[in-house]
Amino acid sequence: MHVVVCVKQVPDTTNVRINPKTNTLMREGVESIVNPFDEYALEEGLRLKDRLGARVTVVTMGPPQAAVVLREALARGADDAVLVSSRAFGGADTLATSYTLSQAIKKACDGVTPDLVLFGKQAIDGDTAQVGPGVSEFLQVPLLTYLRDLETKDGKSFRARTVMDDGEHVIEGTFPCVMTVLKEASTPRYAPLAGWMKAAKADITVMDEKTIAADPIRIGLKGSPTKVVTIFPPPTKGGGEKVDARGDAAMGAKTIVDFLAKKGLVK
Amino acid sequence: MIETDILIVGAGPAGLATAIALLRKAKGNKPRVVVLDKGRSPGSHVLSGAIVDPSGLRALLTDEEISQMPCEAKVCKESFRCNFTRGLSLPIPWVPPMMSSKGYPVVSLTKVTAWLCQIAQKAGAEVYTGYAVTALVEEKGQIVGARTGEKGLDKNGQKKSNYLASEEIRAKTVVLAEGGCGILTEKLIAEKKLEGVRPQTYAIGIKELIEVPAGTQTAGEVMHTFGWPADFNTYGGGFVYHVSETQVMVGYAYGLDYARAEIDPFRLFRRFKASSAVAPHIKGGKTVAYGAKVIPEGGFFAVPKPYAPGCLIVGDGAGLLDSLRIKGVHIALQSGIAAAEAILEGLTQSRGDAEIGEDYLRRLQATSGWKEMERVRNVRASFSFGMPYGVMAAGLAWMTFGKFPNFRVPGCDEGDATTLRPLDRAKLAQEFADDVESSPCQPDRLTDVFMSGTIHEEDQTCHLKIKDAAKCAECEVKFGSPCTRFCPAEAYRRDEAEGGRLQIDFSNCLHCKTCRIKCPYGNVDWTFPQGGDGPRYTRM
Repeated sequence: MHVVVCVKQVPDTTNVRINPKTNTLMREGVESIVNPFDEYALEEGLRLKDRLGARVTVVTMGPPQAAVVLREALARGADDAVLVSSRAFGGADTLATSYTLSQAIKKACDGVTPDLVLFGKQAIDGDTAQVGPGVSEFLQVPLLTYLRDLETKDGKSFRARTVMDDGEHVIEGTFPCVMTVLKEASTPRYAPLAGWMKAAKADITVMDEKTIAADPIRIGLKGSPTKVVTIFPPPTKGGGEKVDARGDAAMGAKTIVDFLAKKGLVK
Repeated sequence: MIETDILIVGAGPAGLATAIALLRKAKGNKPRVVVLDKGRSPGSHVLSGAIVDPSGLRALLTDEEISQMPCEAKVCKESFRCNFTRGLSLPIPWVPPMMSSKGYPVVSLTKVTAWLCQIAQKAGAEVYTGYAVTALVEEKGQIVGARTGEKGLDKNGQKKSNYLASEEIRAKTVVLAEGGCGILTEKLIAEKKLEGVRPQTYAIGIKELIEVPAGTQTAGEVMHTFGWPADFNTYGGGFVYHVSETQVMVGYAYGLDYARAEIDPFRLFRRFKASSAVAPHIKGGKTVAYGAKVIPEGGFFAVPKPYAPGCLIVGDGAGLLDSLRIKGVHIALQSGIAAAEAILEGLTQSRGDAEIGEDYLRRLQATSGWKEMERVRNVRASFSFGMPYGVMAAGLAWMTFGKFPNFRVPGCDEGDATTLRPLDRAKLAQEFADDVESSPCQPDRLTDVFMSGTIHEEDQTCHLKIKDAAKCAECEVKFGSPCTRFCPAEAYRRDEAEGGRLQIDFSNCLHCKTCRIKCPYGNVDWTFPQGGDGPRYTRM
């Protein structure tokens, strides 16, 4: 069984602030991390390696320094790593990224469709959740989103549980498949030190637009129909109304009930 | 089991200097050098002022490399002030040249450490962060390696689904570069009886980075103060460093040999910022980063024997700090170089461990940093008798090149845990009443803790272990639980809803170790949380 896990390097958004004057990200001192949701995708892949001996390939698209997220995945137990990197890919939107990644996956698997391609449910920087579904289109492989649980005995057929707005879906099917994974699926493992020592020396395959035989007008800025016109911080919300009920709980309760009644939320 | 030639515990300036010197000075085959650090990334547990004395850097790196160092500003204007009260502060008209740091780089040591780490990696060192080294491995009285901490234990110590076992690393030499009050270092010192002439004395250093409106300040302008809000019997001082036109580093250090149980160093820090000497510098500002760390101030006489069979101790962990200038980075770098030279010499000559240790000490004693420590050896102890004596000792040390007094001045002989007097509850009320009003540059403690970036996996065993709960009850009566005040992160508090039970919020911890040092009953066992947890300093 061959599992491909796509990961992305993102700024640690817990520390990102937006300069209110220029509306640009203030990146000073902001670390790059593995997109947290991708860790669950990787864990799902590594569990298949533990149980069925699957081969796990991690793929990322980004600048050369994105190699560090690949090394982290190798340290945790992935078998090989592909860095899709070239200036020509710069400025790609989700469509161009999906195309580029699907080409890289084809190349990494020598034209054989991998059994499973895993993504995190979305990236914490763009929050689009579009690249996983996009890749499934380009690979012509079925798609399952918001995976919570995956069972497979033989690596050929599976029973999956996904979480949707209307409830949980239990889906049976056969590989190949593209899946995007929820954080409820698992707890990611830690990388052992010995794993890091091995990963630090491991070879990472680097692919550019030529290696993946990409159509030049479908990659990078040129291949991106979406344009980011402007970014801005959401308007600051004013503080809510505070009810100080210390000393008079009954008054506090009444104020809150009156407030809710006025909104028509209670009768 | 992992095997390496040299294992360095701690990727701070001292550990990284050891690694760089080992790999650069090795003739022929380069040794395998592994550096481990409990912080999430290089520098994330490193905090300092810092105006760096460049002598250490010059000994380690080329001029061209030093010119690449992330430097915020160069000291262009320096003043020393004595604060008498909140409103009265007088400049010291003349400053002895040995105190001057004109032209020195003002840096964020967090950033400098990350930069040193890159240099070490380029030289061939393997640096792994996020791994706490929690124990040394000893065989027949000799240190032969170390163990990393387990990960994935829940709050009851049970294995979770992502449990990661401890790993053992064997090395010919282990270099402890843990920083001030290193846990393994302290244990080794106690077990092998390596103590210096007197116990180590610490200060707690609290620091904020404050963003101020443009156009009011000059980068490179620095101010040092002593006195208020410390009383004249306690070694306390602060600094204000303008690192750019819009950023100020403000810090306050307070000697942990203080006697008044009601003292709260964080509150003192806030008062310091509100004093007439400091307030104009941070007017209209907003605090954006925070951190705290202990400074080993004891100086020359508190330095332990810095080696044991198979193991060398470098940097702050060995108390290598000039306790008058409160500068240790340059000595940390020098000690790293000395350790590296001794190890390499030992490898080529197939020397025994005892010889390597003695060689290290000899090389350390030949450094300019060591001589500087020797010169001011009596200053810190003199301050324990009150500021006038301290100032006098500093003056004498300067005028006589440290020749007089040629004896060891007593003071600081008991250790910081023993100096507390029983709590004066009237004064405690006063202490709280005097508190400064909150503002963007005077955030409350928990807001500050948030800005340190500290984070710990919540579902793990609490790493701040109370040895004997009964002593905490006794302490509440006698000293009023000073941990609830001296902790700069509010990790300790009395839960009034539960009858005043001591509640420990370990996830606030900044890894400063003040609790381990100052608890009057020595009742805190500071163990290692999961590797990668703790503060995430980026600009400290």
